[in-house]
Amino acid sequence: MLNLESLRFPRYELPASLDALRQEVRAFLDTALTRYSPLVRSNTWDGFDPDFSRELGARGWLGMSLPKTYGGHGRSALERYVIVEETLAAGAPVGFHWIADRQSGPVVARYGTQAQKEKIIPGIAAGEICFCIGMSEPNSGSDLASVRTRADRVADGWLVNGTKIWTTNAHRADYMIALLRTDSSADSKHRGLSQFLIDLKATPGITARPIKDLAGRGHFNEVSFQDARLPADALLGQEGEGWKQVIAELAFERSGPERYLSCFVLLSRLVDALGPQASPAALAKVGAEVAWAVTLRNMSLSVAGMLNEGRDPGLQASVVKDLGCQFEQRLPGLAQELVGLEPMLADNGNDYQQVLGNLMLLAPSFSLRGGTLEILRGIIARGLGVR
Amino acid sequence: MNELQNILEESVSRLFAERVDRAFLARCEDGEWPAELWSLASEQGLTHVLASEAAGGMNAGWAEAFIVVRACGRYAVPLPVPEQLLALWLVERAGISAPSGLIALLPTVVDAAATGHYTLDVPRVPWGRAAQFFVGVTSDQQIALFDTQHASVTPAQNLAREPRDTVHLHAASPVALGACAVNPHAIRWLGALLRAGQIAGAAAACLELSVKYTSDRVQFGRPLSQFQAIQNHLAEIAGAMASVDTMARAAFLALDARGLASLGDDSASFEIAAAKCRASDAVELLTRLSHQVHGAIGFTYEYDLQFLTRRLWSWRAEFGTSGEWGEHLGRAATAIGGDGLWAQVTR
Ligand SMILES: Cc1cc2nc3c(=O)[nH]c(=O)nc-3n(C[C@H](O)[C@H](O)[C@H](O)COP(=O)(O)OP(=O)(O)OC[C@H]3O[C@@H](n4cnc5c(N)ncnc54)[C@H](O)[C@@H]3O)c2cc1C
Repeated sequence: MLNLESLRFPRYELPASLDALRQEVRAFLDTALTRYSPLVRSNTWDGFDPDFSRELGARGWLGMSLPKTYGGHGRSALERYVIVEETLAAGAPVGFHWIADRQSGPVVARYGTQAQKEKIIPGIAAGEICFCIGMSEPNSGSDLASVRTRADRVADGWLVNGTKIWTTNAHRADYMIALLRTDSSADSKHRGLSQFLIDLKATPGITARPIKDLAGRGHFNEVSFQDARLPADALLGQEGEGWKQVIAELAFERSGPERYLSCFVLLSRLVDALGPQASPAALAKVGAEVAWAVTLRNMSLSVAGMLNEGRDPGLQASVVKDLGCQFEQRLPGLAQELVGLEPMLADNGNDYQQVLGNLMLLAPSFSLRGGTLEILRGIIARGLGVR
Repeated sequence: MNELQNILEESVSRLFAERVDRAFLARCEDGEWPAELWSLASEQGLTHVLASEAAGGMNAGWAEAFIVVRACGRYAVPLPVPEQLLALWLVERAGISAPSGLIALLPTVVDAAATGHYTLDVPRVPWGRAAQFFVGVTSDQQIALFDTQHASVTPAQNLAREPRDTVHLHAASPVALGACAVNPHAIRWLGALLRAGQIAGAAAACLELSVKYTSDRVQFGRPLSQFQAIQNHLAEIAGAMASVDTMARAAFLALDARGLASLGDDSASFEIAAAKCRASDAVELLTRLSHQVHGAIGFTYEYDLQFLTRRLWSWRAEFGTSGEWGEHLGRAATAIGGDGLWAQVTR
């Protein structure tokens, strides 16, 4: 039986005490972002600048909700939410710290040993370490539980063999949290998996080969493990509990405001390109997307509020991601149609055309990374009780 | 939701679920005025959610009104409960003591002729034929209340056969006139808000019916809901419903915060425009996919879906299409400019 309550997005108002933080972040971004071109600002969570990440870290704006005892800031998830939405909407280059701040930090905080937390969390909060996610493999995409890269127990630790793929930033990251098979005799594919915290710079036998994306950009990689030796303490959490842990990690990955904010810069530029004198038909079309932006903001904030109250908004988060990626994928087409300009590469055309070109070339990934649209729809169907 | 809201939601759902069924709706479509349900709804205070205690109301806010209005959509309630609660709120804003009886909304600006009398034809008045009074807003910031003495009505309907009559005022004088800070088009904005709330309710009902029907109906040896193509449709309906519901509620709450005087200004009433634009926009997907998963049965008068979808098709257009409200939003956004857009979205 369908329970409509499970699909409600209760109204959430951020506490007024966060207004000051928001104003502070806006003021900071107003000056800090002037050094980037509109094109660079359209990269949002693909934009990569270690200096910028360190600046955020110095202000105490990374690892915000990680425990203080280990070097986090012990602040609420809502404060982090404010930082994240402000940086994304402004088009700040958040890529260096993005994965660490969003999911690796929280995973280490939840499952790591004392030593792992002490080693990792201060660097995340400082914006000094970059993480990557070792989940997908050549033969395991949507069917993640079928991963085959193995970690075999040896005398002084683990021996890893296999291949990860599409690993964003693996060629420049410090650490990877990888999902590896530790027991191939387990009776179900969901058992026998474990997570590992891998120091990429200190482990021989790991090679990251950049894979160019459709536009020739280098951000993701094929990572091969050939008899890579990990120390015993590289195990993250419980041996054999990798599937449960990875589901928790994906929940961090699937619930944030980035699910509708990777194109906000384009919407802003589109609004300026049209101006108030635009035709009523054009205003109506851009207005419909503005309505979506406000709607998605309300929905996303509601998810943040539910998380903050300790509830599990898994279904609602999937709905936001589903609607959010459709929104983001509509924008480039609309921004071209309404303004009537050709999308262009970096050295061609004007700023608007470059931003448009960049996002047009990024948009296909919005409904793939972090779980495809089809997989999300399956999760929603399960929430509706029909699966 | 707080306790009052929970109680309200429960009692309004119980009342409508018990009383509004297919046979009842069919009779109303044939012209019957459901007097009994109307008095029950009034006795339970549903029409008076926004009215002050002095005026015999609940003295609640738009957050509570949302619950009632959405329920009216969900159960396809063939009564002007949303319109009445709005009318009572409006007259009280202008310091007019509310008369008892049905007050119909005049959706367009009403202005007096040079003589001081009102002679106009106002089309698409919800339940004009059943009204004892009419309320309208003048272009000089007054709220005008008329009785039926100098009025006549030409009946008309929307696709769902809800009364949408033309009201003719013949040299009428208002029985009450009150000045307040109100935009002449306030009723269009408020009507849009009501319809967004009703669309949210009807969308939820479409989803419920679609999930239930596809779970019960077996083809190829399994319930339809086990086919991935059908699950995909259901997920899309759910997403559209959730987006409409969330934005409609946000708009009702924004009105609590900003009040009557904010209406009519594109940026001050941003949430209302966004809610009606989103709601009207969603109707296409909601109705198309709900009908699709139902097959032929959904195309019959014998099955409930059409009571919802015909309303959705009308409500999509009433008090402004998604294009009209999108234009308001586009105008607001371009006036604010790209760099200020995010602050507006998060205000
Ligand atoms: C830009 C980018 C960055 C990425 N970064 C990372 C990263 O850092 N780390 C990492 O681990 N991974 C990363 N990924 C990989 C991403 O998680 C996978 O692409 C995704 O999980 C889908 O897997 P796949 O590409 O193998 O597609 P497949 O699973 O092969 O799917 C292909 C198509 O079939 C559909 N499909 C699959 N199964 C079903 C089903 N049961 N029912 C219906 N349809 C189905 C899919 O939805 C999709 O449309 C990244 C991907 C991209 C594009």
